[in-house]
Amino acid sequence: MKKTIFNWFIRGGTALVLLSSTALAGEPDPKAVIAKAWDYMRGKTSVSVLKMTVHRADWERTSVIKAWTKGRENSIFQIIAPKKDKGNGTLKIGRNMWTYNPKVNRVVKIPASMMSQSWMGSDFSNNDLSKADTILNDYTHEIEGTRTQDGIQIYEIKALPKPDAPVIWGMQKLKIREDGILLSQAFYDEDMNMVKVMVTTDIKMMGDRPFPVKWTMRSMDADSGEDYTLLEYNELQFDLPVQERLFTVNALKKPLR
Amino acid sequence: MEILMAWRNVWRNPRRTALTIMAIAFACLLLILMLSIQVGTYEVMINASVKTLTGHAQVIRQGYNLDRKIRQVVKTPGPIEEILSATPHVADFTPRANAFALLSSGRRTCAGMITGIDPEKEARISSVARTVRKGRFLDPADTNTAVIGQLLAKKLKIDVADELVVLGSAMDGSVAATALTVVGIFSSGMDEYDRRAIQMPLTHFQEIFAMRGGVHEIVISCDALGNVDKVTQTVASALSQNAPDAKLACLSWAELNPGLIQSIQMDLGGGIIFYAILLVMVAFSIMNTFVMAVFERTRELGTLMAMGARPGRLSKMLVLESGFLTLCGIILGVLAGCLLTLWLSRTGIPLGGAEGMMRQYGIPGELKPRLTLITAFAGPALVFLITILTALYPAFKVHRMTIVDAMRAV
Repeated sequence: MKKTIFNWFIRGGTALVLLSSTALAGEPDPKAVIAKAWDYMRGKTSVSVLKMTVHRADWERTSVIKAWTKGRENSIFQIIAPKKDKGNGTLKIGRNMWTYNPKVNRVVKIPASMMSQSWMGSDFSNNDLSKADTILNDYTHEIEGTRTQDGIQIYEIKALPKPDAPVIWGMQKLKIREDGILLSQAFYDEDMNMVKVMVTTDIKMMGDRPFPVKWTMRSMDADSGEDYTLLEYNELQFDLPVQERLFTVNALKKPLR
Repeated sequence: MEILMAWRNVWRNPRRTALTIMAIAFACLLLILMLSIQVGTYEVMINASVKTLTGHAQVIRQGYNLDRKIRQVVKTPGPIEEILSATPHVADFTPRANAFALLSSGRRTCAGMITGIDPEKEARISSVARTVRKGRFLDPADTNTAVIGQLLAKKLKIDVADELVVLGSAMDGSVAATALTVVGIFSSGMDEYDRRAIQMPLTHFQEIFAMRGGVHEIVISCDALGNVDKVTQTVASALSQNAPDAKLACLSWAELNPGLIQSIQMDLGGGIIFYAILLVMVAFSIMNTFVMAVFERTRELGTLMAMGARPGRLSKMLVLESGFLTLCGIILGVLAGCLLTLWLSRTGIPLGGAEGMMRQYGIPGELKPRLTLITAFAGPALVFLITILTALYPAFKVHRMTIVDAMRAV
């Protein structure tokens, strides 16, 4: 008698485990989804040429940037046009960031307090542009919903900062396709008002994979309501061999290839 | 007749009268001194803020005082300077341009606010030129030089003759970068400003930040603080009439620095509560004296009425008594208060330990009370009003007296 009860107990337990594992299969680990997206966007390494358009109600400016990334942590950018800004560069290693200006021929380390400031007058912050992996390490994640569009699953993920995390946002919301393409990322302040939102569009084959060509960052607090910064990928290649010494302060001072 | 009687009654008990007069006089003295110190402090606060930061008024593009974006410029300062030269009560004006930028000394990097100024005109308006503690102020012949706030210099570990790299965004969105030589370190006394500000020549600023001849502020200094509103109105209407650019505004220091006005209002609010408490205390002590004076003289008053004095006459006499008492006290208090205040405004009141706190508001180490007609007479006038009002109660109590009861009272 005792034994049968025990058996039932075991069976019931197994059933529970099975149930929960199927639930997991339907709703994957949100952190893994984000990690996959971040790796998808950056590859092991990536080399790209981007056109950046900063748009304001009465004004617009376009510059061309060449960017190299390696892994999740390291990246280096250099402006190649317009001529006035040519040679200005930004290097990011881990959480540290340096900027170089050829006119004064000086490398300046950006203090941590400035990381959330605008990068080159755009709507991207220094953090945004280096696609800091802070979203992975400093936040807890939760899948809010999934929907299917054109046969592809889209995960909607809510990310809340961990209690002691050194982040400035009160919440982030991401939409990520199951193949790893980031569709949108919205940034909220502590009062849960949306501060800015990035949307990606025009998914095309870039390098070896489908990739959104246009990345638009919109600031919500701008008075005109039409302030945005548009990044367009002109060229993009993944997993090329990139030398480690490209990501050094010295490399920042030289015109990159 | 009543006047004479009242005067004699006042001095029937000289010790009590003297004490009451002293109480009133002391209240007046305290009110005059406190109010004068407050007004003096506000004037110093306003002057410090006006002289280092905002000027008496500014012509700016609408909204620049709130957003402070580099693109909110006064494109052509020329015509506006013409308007200002023709405006009465305008003593001086100077153009300024501002930008937030990354400042790096090689050892340290931090964010700061960089202001392009016209060295010659600025020295006439702003106190910064006079507060240079080390080195010198900017010179009209300078190009890539800068003066830097003392606290910022400390933070950057930078000294006179060192090089400072400035990295920021120019008006056209390009990278603005320049290396400046520090020629002077200033300490304006406003810690908040000294912690983040550097100044460089305007022409070089306009070049680096691609301003195309534009500026952000045209700072106006008026001949007197009281004329500021007149000037802003005149300039604003002149701007709207023959404006080269419709979106310009002329704002006064109070609009440019609302925090200052708010802290003054807060302080004044606290002061008013204190004065109210003081007045109530004075009122009670005086009321006590008068009520006693009537009670202990009940028999005497009864006798007077029995001799045919109408209660109205007695009231009049009692009110006159209190009037004499109050006037004596007030005259004494005003004299002593004014003398003390004048003396303190000569010598100044050293602040000691509170100096650090006061420096945040740009108040120097010494307080100088300021005696004006208002500070000298507002307090005493209130004291007079309150004492007369309290004296009315015992004075009209006489009306309810019956002769027989009054004469029998002990």
